[in-house]
Amino acid sequence: MIASRAAAALLVFSAGLAQAQSPEALGWLRKIHDATQNLSYSGTFVYQHGGRSETSRITRDARGDVERLEVLDGVAREIVRTRDTVKCYLPDSRVVKIDRRTADRSFPALLPERIGALVRHYDIELGGMERVAGIDCQTVVLRPKDNLRYGYRLYADAKSGMLLKAVTFDEKGSEVERFMFTQLAIGGVTPEQVKSRHKARAWRVEDTEAAPARLAGWSLSAELPGFHKVIELKRRMGQSRPVGQVVYSDGLAAVSVFIEPMQGDAEPLQAGTASLGAIHIYTREAANHRVTVVGETPAASVQRIGNAVEYHRPPQ
Amino acid sequence: MNERISALMDGELDDRAAGELIQRLAAEREALDTWRLYHLISDAIRENQPLPGRSFAAPPRARRWVALPIAASLAAVSLVGWLAFAPQQEPAQPALAQAVAPARPGAVPLPSAADDYLLAHQGVSPRFSFHGMAPYIRSVSDAAQGTRR
Repeated sequence: MIASRAAAALLVFSAGLAQAQSPEALGWLRKIHDATQNLSYSGTFVYQHGGRSETSRITRDARGDVERLEVLDGVAREIVRTRDTVKCYLPDSRVVKIDRRTADRSFPALLPERIGALVRHYDIELGGMERVAGIDCQTVVLRPKDNLRYGYRLYADAKSGMLLKAVTFDEKGSEVERFMFTQLAIGGVTPEQVKSRHKARAWRVEDTEAAPARLAGWSLSAELPGFHKVIELKRRMGQSRPVGQVVYSDGLAAVSVFIEPMQGDAEPLQAGTASLGAIHIYTREAANHRVTVVGETPAASVQRIGNAVEYHRPPQ
Repeated sequence: MNERISALMDGELDDRAAGELIQRLAAEREALDTWRLYHLISDAIRENQPLPGRSFAAPPRARRWVALPIAASLAAVSLVGWLAFAPQQEPAQPALAQAVAPARPGAVPLPSAADDYLLAHQGVSPRFSFHGMAPYIRSVSDAAQGTRR
């Protein structure tokens, strides 16, 4: 009797699992993806984490593929992204940081054909309908299959597919951070609206000069399950520091490993983990280099990757 | 709800009630978690019980459902839990406090270059494809506030 009920329960759960990876849920992820790329919009959104919140304005002109984000509280900051650059304007310090996006840089993007591969690491299921900013939304839940990554609850406009709210949650189901539009207008964006407000004449320019490169001798003694290397870059940081960056990703979450020589470091290295919303930053020393691991993953994941970083002198 | 899950495990529900509850378990995460928790508790209790009549020659018993009423198991766990946490001796209390104190070992403030790392990282995160620029808000000024705290 009990055994038959247990079997019945198992059957229901397996059916639930099969449903979890339904083409419908994946279809919604594709719809969100396409809306993000193809829609022009302008709206106000709030970022909340750990009892703090920040408001910003975001505007996208899909025709020109230009997007502008302006932070409305705290330190003034504006970021404008075009097809090949990301410029971060800091009016208080009169600095503009430029990050160039080479053709290779598009590689870590989550392309529609790769969305299906996410089911290796996440149970993806359709949730109910909910309202966000007065708009009816379809919810899609990505529940991680292990504790190496976070889960996501996405709220997409039922009509356009536009992502209106995204909640990141940890293994206990507790919220880690959320992005949420409080107001949104789709369409009617002019190229003027996505131009920077700053002329930035006589501002200091910090160009990262990021370019794909091989970091000879550096590797991981063990990869984190499901996270594979997607790109290796060399870039500059701040005013001059040359830094290597290796990116690992499971298709959705990414972890960057930054490696830089220790010589002439003004700041003594403080080993340990810092956090900012869903982002964890783990710092340690390896082979007289500063290793900084940055990832939107649980702390244990950035620590595991950081502790696996090793250097072997390449053969001459 | 919890009593009903417990009753289901103990085989005390009729077929219709059991069917309805199983459907709810499949639909509700919280109920499913309770169901899993009860099974864990029940497994843990059974593993700690001496198996009657087991000798060295006996083959290892396959794990199977033992009709140990879950309600009784929960009571047993509460009792064990209470015994474990009762201050039996003087030093028990400080030891417990010590174990709780270092909640996040190795926690450090954000590095001063956190903004640069974040800017570099956001540009290569695949989440960009879903969020557009939204994650970029998680940078510079926020990081600066973090270090100033």
